[in-house]
Amino acid sequence: MLQHKDSHRSACKSFEEDLVLYYYGDCREPESHRVEEHLKECASCRHFLEELQTFLPLTAKPKELPQAFWNSYYEELREKLAAIDARESWWKRSFAFFHPWAVPALGTALVLILALSLTLAKGMWHFKGHRAQEEVPSELRAAAGNIDFFESMDLLDSIDFLEALEDKSSANSEFQKL
Amino acid sequence: MCQRGERQAFEVLVRRYMKRAYQIAFDFTRDGEEAKDLSQEAFLRAYSQIRHFDQRSTFYTWFYRIVVNLCIDHLRRRARIPWERLDGKNQQSAGEEAMGDTSSTPDQEAIAGEVKRRLGTALGTLPGKQRTAFLLRNHHGLSITEIAKVMQTTEGTVRVHLHRAVAALRQSLAELV
Repeated sequence: MLQHKDSHRSACKSFEEDLVLYYYGDCREPESHRVEEHLKECASCRHFLEELQTFLPLTAKPKELPQAFWNSYYEELREKLAAIDARESWWKRSFAFFHPWAVPALGTALVLILALSLTLAKGMWHFKGHRAQEEVPSELRAAAGNIDFFESMDLLDSIDFLEALEDKSSANSEFQKL
Repeated sequence: MCQRGERQAFEVLVRRYMKRAYQIAFDFTRDGEEAKDLSQEAFLRAYSQIRHFDQRSTFYTWFYRIVVNLCIDHLRRRARIPWERLDGKNQQSAGEEAMGDTSSTPDQEAIAGEVKRRLGTALGTLPGKQRTAFLLRNHHGLSITEIAKVMQTTEGTVRVHLHRAVAALRQSLAELV
């Protein structure tokens, strides 16, 4: 097996790929028939196929591991799977129905709601402000900054009123004297 | 209860595919501990993503893809694959048994050992896609159609990868044969 240096010959180029597939049993008809016919008359391709049959199985010896290894492997994996379930919190499960399309849909809905609520709220504010402007006379609004002045004017009015009362009461007393 | 039931159903799949998953990971990494970690990680990912599993494909082609991708990512991170370990004399994991054929003569054993060593080294230098196609076909017996599904490519591309991989491996034995 594989000892002779001069035996490393190439197969016919047009058959090499099919010979590999033929070795693995993946060569379909009519290629399979074509390969078989060619092998009958081509020593190089026969030799190439024999080489594949010799060396390829050497690369595929499965490792036989003891059952104890597999039992331990399985139990370890079961614990890891249980840990995943434990980690998965309730909200993740409740959002499990979410699909990729749900994210943009939800975003659009939120933007719409926000825009709608902003529009409505702005309208209400505008309406309230308008009414307030209507209720207050313009001359009062203009004088709103001079409230101290008006308060002092009220005080002067009160003094005038008291003086008038005083004058009135003195006139009455003089009338009574007469 | 539903969650528990899902897990129990998945554990059946674990029992069915754990040896194959481990073997694929081992074929890629040549390291028992890494193979165990990677194959278990593949199961955990599959469990987390089982809702995304497309029922039109078979579970194992979907699952093989997860395993293979994890292995390729792992090898990329590791940058260099110590395929030299294939001679079986260093860093064998617990429970691994020697691959030698006890019925052979010492000369045959020496040649077989050298062939394996060279094949292992050559496997390690193959491009990722060629290696994947070769391992899945040669070591795990997947059909060309199944490999195409796992690799998400065409059957023609898989055939080309397989042929190139075999040609490269054969070339690595050029001085021996």
